[in-house]
Amino acid sequence: MALLYFALGTVFGFVLSRSGAADYNYIQAMFLFTSFQLYGIIGTAVLITAPGLWLIKRYGRTVSGRPVVVPLKPQHRGNIVGGILFGIGWSICGMCPGPIFVNIGEGKIYAVAALAGALAGAGLFGAIYTRIQSAFRLPRLAVGTGGAGSRS
Amino acid sequence: MPLILNNVTPIHWAIAGAGIALVTLALLFIANRRLGISTGFEDVCSFVLPIGYFTRDAVRLARGWRMPFIVGLAVGGFLSAVLGGGWAPIWNLGIFDQVIGFGHAGKLAWMFVGGLFIGFGTRLADGCTSGHGIFGLSNFELPSLISTISFLAAGIVTTQFIYRVVFHL
Repeated sequence: MALLYFALGTVFGFVLSRSGAADYNYIQAMFLFTSFQLYGIIGTAVLITAPGLWLIKRYGRTVSGRPVVVPLKPQHRGNIVGGILFGIGWSICGMCPGPIFVNIGEGKIYAVAALAGALAGAGLFGAIYTRIQSAFRLPRLAVGTGGAGSRS
Repeated sequence: MPLILNNVTPIHWAIAGAGIALVTLALLFIANRRLGISTGFEDVCSFVLPIGYFTRDAVRLARGWRMPFIVGLAVGGFLSAVLGGGWAPIWNLGIFDQVIGFGHAGKLAWMFVGGLFIGFGTRLADGCTSGHGIFGLSNFELPSLISTISFLAAGIVTTQFIYRVVFHL
């Protein structure tokens, strides 16, 4: 299975690389409203994924016959505040998380610094999770074996 | 507008969007996985940070699929460079160089700070452009709509502030 994930990641990375989604200029052009490219990419991806997802869920099984499970994300104040913080970072770096890895593969040295920052930011979040939990109404952590109400 | 990478002409947005959709659907239909990349930051952290948040089963059990996927992303970028004119270390940052013009050290510091926002923000929001923007919107999930509007709006405001207010493009 690891090979399948690797192959799908490679195709995904190649598409991000060649479409402008991992290009600093195209990200800024999206936010400056001077290029439609990124809006077209995200819009098309959603327009095709939505009916495909509906069909897969309606069919209810994967290719190997296992029941399809779609874990849902929790709703809380972090959706807005975290979204805003991420948007600022997306603009500063000209990369969202996937393209950070794509840019590193392309040879863009500065993307390594973006990855270091992202790991430090995620690490900081994990370290202070229990302290900001109530302020953002974040779900309780299921430490260990997981279970109901676990944050996945 | 050519890409920074080897001045390649980008593929059409409809083809790129279809490619992203096909990978997203294949992940679910073949492997029962919900697309999401920023959670991968937690996977990497879990190798070095022995604190409760990262040692959860939810994190450790997902490493088996997200790590190879993320390595694939980098390899996809590498192949794109090799097949599109050759791989070489790149410092070029397009309009950043023309308008802001920091040197190498300044660029690394700029990227690290932006990365902090990306890492902390995506974890707090519970997702990024892939998990919220592509998968969540396609699945009509309200938290994903809220997050996507938030990060698009913040990106627009930040870039407009940087390139139209502070530095004049």
